[in-house]
Amino acid sequence: MSVTYIDAILAAQEKLLREDDRVFLYGQDIGVFGGAFKATKGLAAAFPNRVFDSPISEDAMIGLAVGAAIEGLRPIVEMQFADFSSIAFNQIVNQAATHYYRTGVPIPITVRMPSGGTPGSGPFHSQNMEGIYAQYPGLIVLTPATVADAFHMLIDGVALDDPVIYCEHKFLYRWLKAKSINNDHLPIGQARIARPGKHATVVAYSAMVHEAVRAADRLQPDGWEIEVVDLRSVKPLDLDTILASVARTGRLLAVGESFPWGGVTAEVISLVSEHGFHLLDAPPQRLNSRDTPIPYHPKLWASHRPTPESICDALRHLLRF
Amino acid sequence: MRLQPRPASLYAPSVPTLDLPAASEKSVTDRDFLRSAFQSMLLARILENKLSSLYKAGKIVGGVYLGRGQESVSAALGTALIRGTDVFSPLIRDQAGRTAFGESLLDCTRTYLGSVLGPMRGRDGNVHRGRPLEGVPAMISHLGAQIALVAGMLFAKRLKGQLQGVVGATCVGDGATSTGAFHEALNLIGVEKLPLVIVVANNQFAYSTPNNRQFACGDLIERARGYGLGGWSVDGTDLFACASVMREAVRRAREGGGPQMVVAHLLRLVGHGEHDDAFYVPDACRNDHYGRDCIDVAIPQLVANGHVTTDEIHAWQHQFAADVQRAVAQAQQEATPDPYREDWTAISTRFPISQ
Amino acid sequence: MPTVPIFMPQLGESIAEATIVRLQVAVGDTVRADQDIIEVETNKAIMSVTTLCNGTVAEIRAKEGVSYSVGSLLGLLDVSAEEIARTGVESLESLEAKRSAAKPASTAPNTRSNETNIHFSLDDDGYEEAPAVVPSVKGLPVPIGVMGAHYISPRMRARMDDLGLREADISAVVGTGAGGRVTVEDLEGFLDYLEAWPSSHASSMRLAVADAMRRSWTRPLATVGLPLLLDRAISHRGAQSPTPGLTLYILRAFALALSEHPATAGYLIGEKIVHPRSFDIGVAVQVKDGVVVPVVRKADKKPLAELIAEYDDLVARARERRLTEDDCKGGIATVTNFGTFGLCLGTPIPLPNETLILGLGAGVKKPVWSEQVGAFLPATEAALVLTFDHRVVDGGGAGVLLNRVAALMQRPEAL
Repeated sequence: MSVTYIDAILAAQEKLLREDDRVFLYGQDIGVFGGAFKATKGLAAAFPNRVFDSPISEDAMIGLAVGAAIEGLRPIVEMQFADFSSIAFNQIVNQAATHYYRTGVPIPITVRMPSGGTPGSGPFHSQNMEGIYAQYPGLIVLTPATVADAFHMLIDGVALDDPVIYCEHKFLYRWLKAKSINNDHLPIGQARIARPGKHATVVAYSAMVHEAVRAADRLQPDGWEIEVVDLRSVKPLDLDTILASVARTGRLLAVGESFPWGGVTAEVISLVSEHGFHLLDAPPQRLNSRDTPIPYHPKLWASHRPTPESICDALRHLLRF
Repeated sequence: MRLQPRPASLYAPSVPTLDLPAASEKSVTDRDFLRSAFQSMLLARILENKLSSLYKAGKIVGGVYLGRGQESVSAALGTALIRGTDVFSPLIRDQAGRTAFGESLLDCTRTYLGSVLGPMRGRDGNVHRGRPLEGVPAMISHLGAQIALVAGMLFAKRLKGQLQGVVGATCVGDGATSTGAFHEALNLIGVEKLPLVIVVANNQFAYSTPNNRQFACGDLIERARGYGLGGWSVDGTDLFACASVMREAVRRAREGGGPQMVVAHLLRLVGHGEHDDAFYVPDACRNDHYGRDCIDVAIPQLVANGHVTTDEIHAWQHQFAADVQRAVAQAQQEATPDPYREDWTAISTRFPISQ
Repeated sequence: MPTVPIFMPQLGESIAEATIVRLQVAVGDTVRADQDIIEVETNKAIMSVTTLCNGTVAEIRAKEGVSYSVGSLLGLLDVSAEEIARTGVESLESLEAKRSAAKPASTAPNTRSNETNIHFSLDDDGYEEAPAVVPSVKGLPVPIGVMGAHYISPRMRARMDDLGLREADISAVVGTGAGGRVTVEDLEGFLDYLEAWPSSHASSMRLAVADAMRRSWTRPLATVGLPLLLDRAISHRGAQSPTPGLTLYILRAFALALSEHPATAGYLIGEKIVHPRSFDIGVAVQVKDGVVVPVVRKADKKPLAELIAEYDDLVARARERRLTEDDCKGGIATVTNFGTFGLCLGTPIPLPNETLILGLGAGVKKPVWSEQVGAFLPATEAALVLTFDHRVVDGGGAGVLLNRVAALMQRPEAL
């Protein structure tokens, strides 16, 4: 018996609905249908009047959640795809994100964003929005990479009083399995060493953690010991853990599945250069997707995002310096 | 483009036709409602005139946006709502509604003048003020965004079992009816059957854009039908008509009649903000029926119906002017925000969270 | 007939591009192997591009006055197959075949009909807009070895700062990093190794000398020398009272020579040469655990006899370590008499703020040929050496200066 990443998300929502009557779910096709990815399967039946099918109105869905949060509830809104949150962008960044600073009233909403590419998903069902939301003050942006984190970070995220953008990776939904959900977990805001090493640090998050670990495994026979840091949350960003790792290795590669211009990897490089220049043996490197829309065909898609091969190449370049 | 005078009427086939109370019909309740609404109109007008002169004297950082000409609609809505029970998300030209819903003069003057003691503490200004936990959300500038938010507050009250007898209300202008947020939210409140009253003050100009460049339907009230809302159309310059329609729309919503939309026809009697002289408003519009000043319309009606005497009006004017002067003076003497002492954090969570 | 490309050659290790000065051949010309065909100018020199084999000029792509990066295609030669076989030169056709084998045509960034690679396409008029070959140094004059042993990473630099170490301090550490770089781990290992050795704290005098020498050594220093006959100075000296030191003779002669050639004492900073305000010459005095350099003022203006008291006082106070800061300031050059230690030859290092140092070795009795007498005569000869900052002074200038000092030393009475 094993637990997948999406099982963990379902289990977390079940636990939240069971234990906290402030929690309700709002989203498209999440009721009887159980969600486009079955992340809410069975919840509508188990929790009558707590799980609602919404109209296809991303803006109004988030607006409704913000209003409910003012009233003391803890809504979880499922965006069917992170890509569609662009329609809700205004309510997220202008209503939810500014509310605490403007009025002193925090907005504890959680927006679940099925993110990232899977083969054949194409330009509008594959996007990663974490960099965009992290850019706005007032939001917490979570990017769980493990089954346990998918579970605990959703529960911990809902417990936070601030708006949480919960980026769950679609590729990990059924690909990633664990024997059970580990009870040990780090608090939100703390990064994790996914794989220890001493020659270079790869900072990654979400699905890219697994690609980075696979790349590190491939370099192992050559004698390279690569450390992989799983950010877990991209905002707040755990600079302490990153710097501690870079202090051990002297080399940094930041890997993200998002588009290359700006974003989380750029922020990591910038912060390490600013605060840890003296720790570096080589110019820090970054690896992102290509600077095009995400292609549909699996062959193009596989080459659009960072892969273990391209991460290995980047690491070899970094280690040669 | 000219609007034809339109009697207070119902336009909502899905909602049964109402017998609207005639303007001349008197009752103690009517008298109290109309006096209260008128007081809010008068106080709002005096307050806004003062804000305008403070702006022209350079005392206000940022803009000043006035509701002159919209006081009847706004005050009638605010008076029909119950502070402490209902939710009211006012928009840019709702000083009268805010006052009617119980906003203190100091909340207004402190926000405009940037006092750190105001509800927005210098972090947001002018009309972007509110007290969300007291049922008054603070508007954002993006038009139509407040409708879904009020819907969410009502939705939550329903989940908590606290919706009985509660109404939510919010206002927009004709311009906001073109936004995606407006349409998404109208559809959503129809689907969720929430007791929400949305008031569209069609003041004929969205900033400078006239109705014929804003929408192509005959009357915005047609949009209510499309979303399954009760629809009401009213002469926004007529306090008595506004009072009747608002009270009825709010009563319908409160008693389970579902969401209601009121379209008020009027003319914005000022520029978009005090920086704008509204040169683009043709004289024909100003001289039109809807170009009337609603306060000028209300006074003879109230006096003729014996609700108010001219002496009372004079006394209120004096009293309100003094109240406004006091609120301005106090806010002006209060501290403004100190960037060195500002808590520059946008979230309430304090990281790191210890394990 | 096969064609052979003419590429812009790598004309020096840090050269990324060169400008065409003159085309020495035209299309249709017959050329032989190793013939100069295109004159190019780099930022260092004018050079010629030569042919590798006999042939006929088929095409000239380069234009006079235009710069091309290293590896750019400048022209084409028609060369017979026999000549290609004889010289082993690679033809364009063979290069193209190799490139298309290495890269499938479908992945070429810019494919056209009949072209596997735009870089070598013969009918491509837009060649300059689309540079052909990636320059061997990526278009930048990056010194070779920047990533090697001389590179100190920010991390290594920070650790050295922690420990108060300079580049010179780690010269003994064998680097195991990329290109032989010294890593933090190498440094820590070396420090651990040193733990087993006896050590003591360096005196502040030692550290001051070390710092001055380290700073001075950052410049390209060169040393030249000549044999100097000392007999006349020695006999002149014997007749004086009080007796001037031999070093003072040298100092006075040096000051006079410099006043005649002041440019040689200039100090280069950035694009500017700072000239002497006054010919104040320092003298190196060995003291316990170090060297101090008091300065004799206006040595060009005062005759030798007048300088004796000032010189003796400075040297005496130097030995007692009682010099003031002002005593050691403002020198434009220094003399050092390492002959007093019995040393014949030396390559002294100038102070970091000076361009020149003049050194005198120990006098040695030697037979010296005399044209007048027509026989070898005994003479006292010593090495006179001048170390100079080669950025400011060249061998010729140093020679003029040194010969002038030697000449002045032959007329000690005029000093």
